[in-house]
Amino acid sequence: MKILKNLLKTPFFIFGVVLLVGTLSFAYILPLFYHVDIKTCVGAPYMPPSAEHWLGTDHMGVDMLSLLISGLQSSLYVGLLAGIIATITGTFLGLYAGFRGGWQDNTINMVTNLFIVIPQLVLLILISSSMKEGRSLTLIAVIIGLTTWTWTTRAVRAQAASIKSRDHISLAKVNGASTITILFKHILMYLMSYVFMVFIMQTASGILSESAISMIGLGPFDTVSLGTILNQAQRNEALTDGAWWAFLPAVVLIAAIAFALYVINQSMEGVFNPRLRK
Amino acid sequence: MSEVLTGVKQPEVETMQADSTPIFEVKDLHLHYLTRFGDKIPAVSGVSFSMKQGEILGIAGESGCGKSTLVNGCMGLFIPPLYPTSGDVRVKGESIMNRTPKDIRKNVLGRKVAMIPQGAFNSLNPTRKIKDIAADVIESHDDGMVSKKEIYERLRERFHIIGMDDSILNSYPIQITAGMRQRTVIAISTLLNPQMVIADEPTSALDVTTQKAVIRMIFDLLEKQIFSSMIFITHELPLLRHVADRIAVMYAGEFVEVGTTEQLIFDPRQPYTKALMGSMLSAEPGQKQKKPVAIEGAPPNLAKPITGCRFAERCPVVQKDCKLNKQELRVVGERLVRCDYAK
Repeated sequence: MKILKNLLKTPFFIFGVVLLVGTLSFAYILPLFYHVDIKTCVGAPYMPPSAEHWLGTDHMGVDMLSLLISGLQSSLYVGLLAGIIATITGTFLGLYAGFRGGWQDNTINMVTNLFIVIPQLVLLILISSSMKEGRSLTLIAVIIGLTTWTWTTRAVRAQAASIKSRDHISLAKVNGASTITILFKHILMYLMSYVFMVFIMQTASGILSESAISMIGLGPFDTVSLGTILNQAQRNEALTDGAWWAFLPAVVLIAAIAFALYVINQSMEGVFNPRLRK
Repeated sequence: MSEVLTGVKQPEVETMQADSTPIFEVKDLHLHYLTRFGDKIPAVSGVSFSMKQGEILGIAGESGCGKSTLVNGCMGLFIPPLYPTSGDVRVKGESIMNRTPKDIRKNVLGRKVAMIPQGAFNSLNPTRKIKDIAADVIESHDDGMVSKKEIYERLRERFHIIGMDDSILNSYPIQITAGMRQRTVIAISTLLNPQMVIADEPTSALDVTTQKAVIRMIFDLLEKQIFSSMIFITHELPLLRHVADRIAVMYAGEFVEVGTTEQLIFDPRQPYTKALMGSMLSAEPGQKQKKPVAIEGAPPNLAKPITGCRFAERCPVVQKDCKLNKQELRVVGERLVRCDYAK
């Protein structure tokens, strides 16, 4: 409760939360009042915004607002799932390596370093392009999650290795606590605020990664996302036609959600980290 | 409490205590550290002692002499790179050596042998309430058979018995004083009524008043038979005057003198014990005027084989053959001394 009170005193946190809630409302509350239809052509290609179609239409004549709502939902889904996968994978590998030490630590470290030096976007492009069929949103999220856990592993490993030599871990050991108890009740609980912040960053990174690969045409086949909207706009010459409504709202939404998550993360660090606390 | 010497290797000493069953026995314990190159560094060499009900044995020695390694050995807690070389540790006649780590964790730690660690006032997890930290000790040994409610009830009861306010249970460690945290750690470590408690410098870094309160609490627990006997480890020999029945002085992994508290504090015979006493400030009568004198030199490098007395290089009364002949513990008067020239 004290942490929440401190967070609510931070203007940046409030700004981030307002921005995040606004974006989430766009994705999940607006459809309660607005009929979302991404399959029907409701007008001519690239119709400008009007009272009937607030953000105009795309190159096929589909309502752009419906596409944005559906695309944002997809992007949030990919970001969240990728964030969960990357955070869980990274946290568990980091915890185990840091606590265990020895050859297990060396092996995990080696694999982590290997993944770090391979450019993540290149890896994403290679994996996505190798999947000619069945490239669903879930699969994209899993691919992103399984290629972005490395920094979480590194950071959690360093923290776990430092915490394991603290006095409260020694006390737990001499009182007969099992390795699982020590890992989860003593080390993970200690790192929980840190892991939560990492999760926020991984979610933001997941949304940006999905947008990047979808933008170059390697996104999901079966649905629309913010990245695929940009890809379609670029392929169908929205820029040369001056149809800003076909790409600008999608760019703004991607920037808004990523920025909101970054700001929330930063302000949380200011509250959780005593050295940064004012 | 007994004031009789008990060194297991010496037949005479064993006879002296043959009438009573020892609560805790360490027989010719050798421990080593294994380096990453496969070299064995002996850290504890041939330590033997036994203890009776209600007895407090003080172990003193300078930093790095192997006290904390011996503690781990006494608990069967062999975390690499520490390994047992040979010897046995018995609690009420039952060996705790050669057991699986799980068996040690479930049936030895906290139950047979408990430990109050160094810097115990920093040993409480700051993110958890005292009651949850304490509940872990019971849960770790009962396989979740006892409900949380019952555990909390037991904790409250125990805190009442030892005269501590049970409202502490609902606090976070940061909300209570250092002295209270220290006492809380002692209460938590002894929750399962262990046979033996090993206190590894439990009063270091505490002010004198808190030290006194902690020692009073330890005596109180012993009196209430929460635990049976205790090993009190410290590098402050004079402190043991008020705590221990017997004292063993350790140097370079070996016991160099074992005797009653009075014998070792007021009449040390082994040159290292004398030097150790001489290097400390003491408020004891007759010793207040003495100026502390530092022990010159450094302990030997145990990674290299040592022939002769381990203290020979620093000994102020070293003889020609001290560096050649290995010194054994021998009975001098009513104590054990590892020096051929001690009288």
